[in-house]
Amino acid sequence: MKYFKYIAIILIGNVFFSCSDFLEPVPSSSITTDNYYSNADELETGLIGVYAAIKGINSNSKNDNHGVQWEFYVTEMRSDNTSTKSPDSEDASDAGQLESLNVLPTNNFVGNYYTSYFQAIYRANVVLANIGVVEDATAANKIEAEAKFLRAYAYFNLVRLFGDLPLIDRVISPSETEVQFTRVDKSIIYDLIVSDLLTAVNYLDLPYKTRASKVAAQALLAKVYLSLDTPEYAKAQVLCEEIINSNKYALQNNFHDVFYSERSNEIIFVIGYNSNVQDNSQIFSAEFMNAVGNTSGVNYVTTDAVAAIDANGGNRIADSYRPDPLTLFGGTVRYQVAKFFPDGETGGSDGQTFTGLPQLAGNDFIVLRYADVLLMESEAILAGGTETSNTKAIDAYMKVRVRAGFDAATDRPSKLTKEALLLERRVEFAFENHRLFDLIRFGEAPSKLSVFASASGFNFSTTDLLLPIPQNEINLSKGVMKQNAGYN
Amino acid sequence: MKKIKKQVSQIFLFVFVILVGATFTSCSDLFEFELPEANSKPDLTPPAANFKATVTTDYLTYTFSNLSTSATTYLWDFGLDSDGDGEIDMFSTFDAEYTFPGEGIYSVTLTASDKLGVISTFTSTVEVIEPIVPPSIYPEILNGNFDEGTSNWKPSSFTGRNTNAFNASSDGDPLNYDGTPSGSSKTPGAKYTSSTSAGPLLSSSTRFAYQAITVTPNTNYIIEYSYAIKTDKDDINGGDRVIVEILDGWYDDGADAEVSTPLVQTVGDEANGKGNFKVVKKVFSSNATGEIAIWMYAITNDELYVDNVKVYPVN
Repeated sequence: MKYFKYIAIILIGNVFFSCSDFLEPVPSSSITTDNYYSNADELETGLIGVYAAIKGINSNSKNDNHGVQWEFYVTEMRSDNTSTKSPDSEDASDAGQLESLNVLPTNNFVGNYYTSYFQAIYRANVVLANIGVVEDATAANKIEAEAKFLRAYAYFNLVRLFGDLPLIDRVISPSETEVQFTRVDKSIIYDLIVSDLLTAVNYLDLPYKTRASKVAAQALLAKVYLSLDTPEYAKAQVLCEEIINSNKYALQNNFHDVFYSERSNEIIFVIGYNSNVQDNSQIFSAEFMNAVGNTSGVNYVTTDAVAAIDANGGNRIADSYRPDPLTLFGGTVRYQVAKFFPDGETGGSDGQTFTGLPQLAGNDFIVLRYADVLLMESEAILAGGTETSNTKAIDAYMKVRVRAGFDAATDRPSKLTKEALLLERRVEFAFENHRLFDLIRFGEAPSKLSVFASASGFNFSTTDLLLPIPQNEINLSKGVMKQNAGYN
Repeated sequence: MKKIKKQVSQIFLFVFVILVGATFTSCSDLFEFELPEANSKPDLTPPAANFKATVTTDYLTYTFSNLSTSATTYLWDFGLDSDGDGEIDMFSTFDAEYTFPGEGIYSVTLTASDKLGVISTFTSTVEVIEPIVPPSIYPEILNGNFDEGTSNWKPSSFTGRNTNAFNASSDGDPLNYDGTPSGSSKTPGAKYTSSTSAGPLLSSSTRFAYQAITVTPNTNYIIEYSYAIKTDKDDINGGDRVIVEILDGWYDDGADAEVSTPLVQTVGDEANGKGNFKVVKKVFSSNATGEIAIWMYAITNDELYVDNVKVYPVN
């Protein structure tokens, strides 16, 4: 009986220690983010998930994240390049708001882009949080580099569209509302982007064009350096010249092949799609046609862009835009984007007749290509000036011009002006979602867009250069999140 | 009856007096509703004026981005009369663009107000300065006249070769570094011979001269030097010649410099005899960083002299 005391203590001890394993078996049939990632292969599937967030879902539901498929709404349609099929300053629809620079915080395209790209950031953070499961240091570095490239790419687009943003550089819990909704200065966001891309440049060595590569990270970093409030022109130039001097990339001889001979050696980074697969295809090619996609036709080319391309496009005109065949029989002629015909099919005589499935198009979305690197080199050498007589700057500019059919000798300017470079970028990259960012980066957005807006009956103010923070986010933040100036 | 009438009339009079009195006094407090302000709330979102000024391509012209919140009407006050109409320049547009008359510090005020008449003002100063184009760097070439032998011309290391740069010689250019005659038939210079030659005679004793310099990035510069070749003996490897290059960057090891791709290469290959110096000039465009290097060597099986190496901006 005198041992009762010891038996009791042992039993009480068991209460605290023994059961822990027995009652918490790892569920073998359910996979969650907490238990899924256990090795490099599984982490790589997480990376593919980040690409999937950017790629977006091909559906007609506004609740699905459409990623880069709806990017043209918030970029190109806010510039002087494109509009809806029938531009109308009174059009209060989501698309109409964007073309007339009269965007409401409730705009669905704005909210969709915001959540799509923050989803990409979240998924990249999940991969980074689980990097510890990879034992091989080299493999871990590569996965980290790829996740950071994608996080930087997503943040770069968001910060250019929305300005100051919440800084989400790790997986946060639902209770961390302060982190989720407190907007930090955009310079802090840019610090994260630069540091992520420097990691990416160091460790990436993937050969794919549909995934992050070292050169893609270099080219993106060059663009980031050019986009800073105080641009780092020399660093951008060094990065561009490293790509150029590697001689791994070249311009396609034929401008047409840039878009219809996919993943050529002009291409540095694309968001890849495959035709005829609902889960892997894109809808934007169809949206650009007349009532072929879910809309009656959006991202139509403005007459302003048509005039610029006609005057400066050289042999690029036919592969940039075409008159909408349906509007040639009367009424006002409208113009369609010709760079992304669904799987290369032009839609027959009415522009609506396809043998394949245009709504399940496989055209890649081009993020970075070699011509961009060449013109970024010129831009870096110009270094914010109004003109330069530097030979390298003019050489790079002329390479792009000569491919477009201009003469290397007689069309060569003695000085490259900022105006000429901006115009060349407009024509070369028309409808590739560069125009708005180019105008802002060159400091020409207020002057160019106010002229365009008043000619179109729209109303431009400088606060239109940033999108409103989606109203959903403002509401959820319970007063923490502040709206951009110019929006209520 | 009469008494009743009197009483009634007295009551009427009494009521009348009260009523008349009431019209002057009572209603003002008792029946006050303040209808227009019934259930009124305080203005939680008063206007806050704010703007940002950005210079345009023309340094005198600025665009003013309106960053005000909760306001409906705006007034920009530039405190100047630039258009000469006799009145201070004011605009009621949302954004504004303004061309200042010249350099100086100007005060700009934005007044933002809402429909309740609440006013907020924001004043900021704009400093208008004509941007100055910084003059191109004039790099100092150390020991460019070779008066101090190989000093400042030796590679800091050279895997597989040596760091001797060249042979110090007294048979250099009769002209001084600044182009004036020295009064003598020669000044100190650099010399290469068959034992220090590159090309077919390349060996561990081949000499290369190196000097790192800093210039303005992306600017046109001229590399200049003078050379003399004694004879073009046996036409070695296509002729005796000196090669002076501008390298794209700085190198710690001469072996890395030797295999790098130069920004420009100049060749002096006229054999005019010892003491007969010829000047070579060539324009090149500097790189993104401005960190470049002079790189010099010779292919010769006789005697070859170099002097007065200069790098200076065009114009």
